Amino acid sequence: MKRHLLRLGIDVFFGAYIATIIDRILIPRVILDNVTTPFDGMHQALVIGLALVLAVLGSVTSASVGRLILDGSVSGSWQRTVAMNIAWISFTLTVLAGWVVTGISPSALFNGQGLEGAGRIFKALFTPNTDIIGSALLAMVETIYLAFMATAIAVPFSFALSFFAARNLMDHGAIPRTIYVAIRFVTNFTRSIEPLIWAIIFSVWVGIGPFAGMLALVVHTISSLTKQYSEQIEDVDTGPMEAISATGASRTQVVWFSVVPQCVIPFLSFTIYRWDINVRMATVIGLVGGGGIGTMLIQYQGLAQWREVGTIVILIALVVWIMDVISARIREALK
Amino acid sequence: MPPLISAEHLSFEYPNGFKALKNVSFTVEPGEFLVVIGLSGSGKSTLMRTINRLLEPTSGTLTFHGSDVTHIEGDALRRHRQKIGMIFQHFNLIKRHSVLRNTLYGALGQLSSMQSMLGHFSPDLCEKALRNLDIVGIREKADQRADSLSGGQQQRVAIARALMQDPMLLLADEPVASLDPATSHSVMKYLDRINKEFGTTVVCNLHFLSLVRQYATRVIALKAGEIVFEGQPSEITEQWFKEIYGDDATEVEIR
Repeated sequence: MKRHLLRLGIDVFFGAYIATIIDRILIPRVILDNVTTPFDGMHQALVIGLALVLAVLGSVTSASVGRLILDGSVSGSWQRTVAMNIAWISFTLTVLAGWVVTGISPSALFNGQGLEGAGRIFKALFTPNTDIIGSALLAMVETIYLAFMATAIAVPFSFALSFFAARNLMDHGAIPRTIYVAIRFVTNFTRSIEPLIWAIIFSVWVGIGPFAGMLALVVHTISSLTKQYSEQIEDVDTGPMEAISATGASRTQVVWFSVVPQCVIPFLSFTIYRWDINVRMATVIGLVGGGGIGTMLIQYQGLAQWREVGTIVILIALVVWIMDVISARIREALK
Repeated sequence: MPPLISAEHLSFEYPNGFKALKNVSFTVEPGEFLVVIGLSGSGKSTLMRTINRLLEPTSGTLTFHGSDVTHIEGDALRRHRQKIGMIFQHFNLIKRHSVLRNTLYGALGQLSSMQSMLGHFSPDLCEKALRNLDIVGIREKADQRADSLSGGQQQRVAIARALMQDPMLLLADEPVASLDPATSHSVMKYLDRINKEFGTTVVCNLHFLSLVRQYATRVIALKAGEIVFEGQPSEITEQWFKEIYGDDATEVEIR
């Protein structure tokens, strides 16, 4: 029953999707040359109509995309062809609509004036202005510290939370399971908001600057590390847990003496990698006023001082590369 | 003297519906060296884990040292487990920690969480741990990392850890199944010695009948969660062997 409804839902979706793309994007923007038509009764009827037609046809004749997706195959050769064609039409329409919506324009890419401008910038990028290296280095250090502080502040929170976000430690009753679900939900939610957006939120809250950038990274790092740590905890060898339990140890002792020792090294490894990631993220966050090298970059870009921009870009690339090598080496040594 | 363990109509069903133990009844007298035999999946390990209540029986009654422990929980459960040492096929040591610390972890049940988590183990406990390492003959390895030891040595550390509990009962879940024959005998000899010298009751799962004949004072055979044989090791004839392990089985000697 549930499966049948799901199949019907998929068919309805495909019908509505095909009708919407044709009616809202392809006809007005390609055929009618940018004439926007109101989404009135007739258009609505078209969308709903095609959705219903596909759903009804799908369930009556079994020529159904829903069936194709859920079961992996459709019985009957012409039904199969129809279902496959509906799927292909949807894909083709998506590519077409995507092309139109993105405004892909080869002529703009190879336009003479544009190329000239790009040439100027690239030339400037390769003739960096070394006068600003001092201040750029200082800003870079700010970014690295920002990333370091964000990681350092987040680690204790992640460490504590991760044990309550590990399924294997939280499956002994309704209350622990609720805590597990709650923490997983909150961390998944906060992680799905990009640090860049957190930075915008915090720059309103505490004012533009490195502090806002750091707070943004702290939030993102807590949720990311909690996820990584807790997945590591879920992976531990249960043998030692059983052995410590068998001595009559308490639940806390079991976690501390059998789970933690197995996790310390992977946790360290995740943390160093996260610092590495945070340096890159801190650079990007700087672009929206999070301080450090990113802010410096966006300022020179605003003034169209491309040689200075070039200096900063090279510096960022160098630092990211060095951090990458160092963190990989450390993680390798920890194994 | 009353039996140390008395199981009546004990059953255990896993959450997935697999019935690992079906209406199992037996008793274990103090000082016995009881060996449990049977195919993999016959319920031997489950039986071990219901005795020290790592698993809770689905039905039936389990009495240990005169008290009903079938459904105890919390502090009562912790106290019950403290009285029973356990060793495992894969030793289950904390690999990165020293042999001495691993031994000390046997005393965790007697310590408060705070006290133990700060890493303070009293000099008396350390002394006791070293004595127990001495009993299994690896005192000189006390400062080495557990995973630097050979399999047989690791199992001896596990025995020393179990001895920290001053156990009334020692459960050994296939203690030699991942060891080579020579090492197997050395581990079995330590279990035998603990049984004879300290009077500790031993319940042990084994695969090799030659070991069973050598060390067991009594044997229980499980088949598909039920007891199909109970008696002296010498009573396991060719016919019983086929009954327990199936017609295709042939006995493998371990010397």
